[in-house]
Amino acid sequence: MQIEVRSLQKNYGRVKAVRDVSFDVAEGQLRVILGPSGCGKTTVLRLIAGLEPVSAGSIRIAGVDVTLLPPDRRNISMVFQSYALFPHLSVRENIIFGLKVRKVPGPEIEKRLERVIELLGLGQRLDAKPGELSGGMQQRVALGRAIIAEKPVTLMDEPLSNLDAKLRNTMRREICALQRRLGISMVYVTHDQVEAMTMADRILLMREGRIVQDDVPESFYERPANVFVARFIGTPPMNILPLCNGGGGAALAPDGPVLYPGLDGSRFKLGIRPENLRLADEGHPAVVTGKEYLGSDTFIACAINGHEAIVRTRGMSDLAPGVPIHLTWDSKTLCLFDAHTEMRIEDAPEAEPLP
Amino acid sequence: MEPSAFWHRIETLAAWLLALIWAAPLLYAFWAAFHPPHYAVHFSLTAPLTLANFVEAWQTAPFARYFLNTILYTTTTTALQFVLCTLAAYSFACYDWKGRDIAFALILIQLMVMPDQLLVVNYQTMTALKLVDSIPAISLPYIASAFGVFLLRQNFKQVPIALAEAARVEGAGPLTILMKVYVPLSKSVYLAYGLVSVSWHWNNFLWPLVITNSVTTRPITVGLSIFGSPENGVNFAIVSAGTLMSVAPLLVGFLLFQRQFVQSFMRAGIK
Ligand SMILES: Nc1ncnc2c1ncn2[C@@H]1O[C@H](COP(=O)(O)OP(=O)(O)OP(=O)(O)O)[C@@H](O)[C@H]1O
Ligand SMILES: [Mg+2]
Repeated sequence: MQIEVRSLQKNYGRVKAVRDVSFDVAEGQLRVILGPSGCGKTTVLRLIAGLEPVSAGSIRIAGVDVTLLPPDRRNISMVFQSYALFPHLSVRENIIFGLKVRKVPGPEIEKRLERVIELLGLGQRLDAKPGELSGGMQQRVALGRAIIAEKPVTLMDEPLSNLDAKLRNTMRREICALQRRLGISMVYVTHDQVEAMTMADRILLMREGRIVQDDVPESFYERPANVFVARFIGTPPMNILPLCNGGGGAALAPDGPVLYPGLDGSRFKLGIRPENLRLADEGHPAVVTGKEYLGSDTFIACAINGHEAIVRTRGMSDLAPGVPIHLTWDSKTLCLFDAHTEMRIEDAPEAEPLP
Repeated sequence: MEPSAFWHRIETLAAWLLALIWAAPLLYAFWAAFHPPHYAVHFSLTAPLTLANFVEAWQTAPFARYFLNTILYTTTTTALQFVLCTLAAYSFACYDWKGRDIAFALILIQLMVMPDQLLVVNYQTMTALKLVDSIPAISLPYIASAFGVFLLRQNFKQVPIALAEAARVEGAGPLTILMKVYVPLSKSVYLAYGLVSVSWHWNNFLWPLVITNSVTTRPITVGLSIFGSPENGVNFAIVSAGTLMSVAPLLVGFLLFQRQFVQSFMRAGIK
């Protein structure tokens, strides 16, 4: 394991920013820490970097316990959210700053610089000051400064959040490609679930200083640990519908078809992704309440027994609010959650097919 | 006439008047210095121009030595202020230590104390240090400048912490971070502060007068006053010539670098 974090805790006075976080980052892995604002992502990253002392717990990097070591002895490089480029230094001086501080010999610096420039396409702007560069270029310089150090671990804190949507897509791919090519172990912090899903080898989802789920991206989508994860991942998020007691089992409506025979409906909630709901001639009844046209898709909002659900359909739709419709689904795509704890039921029985 | 235009004219007039009053002594010095002594108190456009006053002033007093003393005193003071204030400001701006806020409050209080009030105490200190009548003695009371500490601290605080952290991750120690991040980013403040300090100390009079009493230590301001004092019989033409010589370096410097100075003052936020 490249990084091993054990029972990490960080308190700022009375604020518990990180409470008992443990995870590993394998060698060459791109590990994303995901979570809503204020959940402690940045704090975890700063603890790994050594920019803050831990309150409890331990951190090992490449087998060495670095918990008490300063940042420069942890074998890491870091990209900051604001890039943190030195405004008074040229692009070249910014990139080789660390090498000069560490007194790497001149020819070696030139060799590495050449390689980094080629890798990032910074050739023409070497003598420019960061202030003269576009956001994307500044981002590349920050990346350059991180990778020229040739450290086995790179930490990134929301490196794309200052870029516009289009550039974000490009840089996302560039960072991934770079990480693969150089075989760096990377910890990448973001609050953007799309970034997390597309980039990560493995995601750590946090909430209020705790780990909610630590898994591969597919599992977050198909087997969310709880209602919070189900709603956090996916656009639009998973539909969560309360179950009730129908005739002889749990159903979506008292007079609707029974989905789980013999189950107490009041104790569970049903989760289903909008793309797994289909319009059909027969199935579960619902009423259209609105729609959102996105070009390739249309999100149709409808009410099932008074609870809102979103259906994702291809292309345009001519359904108007108030129209009764029927929905079907594949029973395998349903998730069952405990209504009280909101945890997903791991060994849920498969739902009855719709009549 | 529109009222705003009227007030605008009044303002312009007032500004000119103020400037004229401000410049009057200097203008008079120019007049007196370049004309024969007889014309010092009596204005005539046809008065002949002369450089004789400068020659006489230069010969009457050891001006060269006074200049050297002033330059030594001014540069050592400013240089030491830079070093000391930078280190103090760095500690106040970037480190958290017990009693920091109290120490900083004390420094702010020092801002409000007129240096002249400390004349006697400072003299006693210099006597105790056996430094009376030496150039270090003129400098020492000024090098821990509260103004400098305050100014640099405010500036260092504006530098994003992420820059220092980035440098730290790259392996820079506290002094490297100071010299490679904080100091270069405060260049314009150093320029502005340096200018204020140099011109203030170049013109400083009271303390040097008290603490020095020989040609080898006396700065030019003190030298000039001795040479213009009544017991020698005041010759305004020669005093003016001496005065012009003493302020010339500052004046020329300011005229040459006017634009840079004003800009760095703006950037440093001192108005
Ligand atoms: N230096 C600090 N002093 C006091 N509280 C802090 C400090 N840094 C962070 N916190 C608190 O710790 C919690 C976690 O902060 P953190 O910055 O790690 O969140 P985050 O997940 O990175 O959020 P964001 O997405 O907004 O960047 C927050 O409640 C924050 O207010
Ligand atoms: Mg953050």
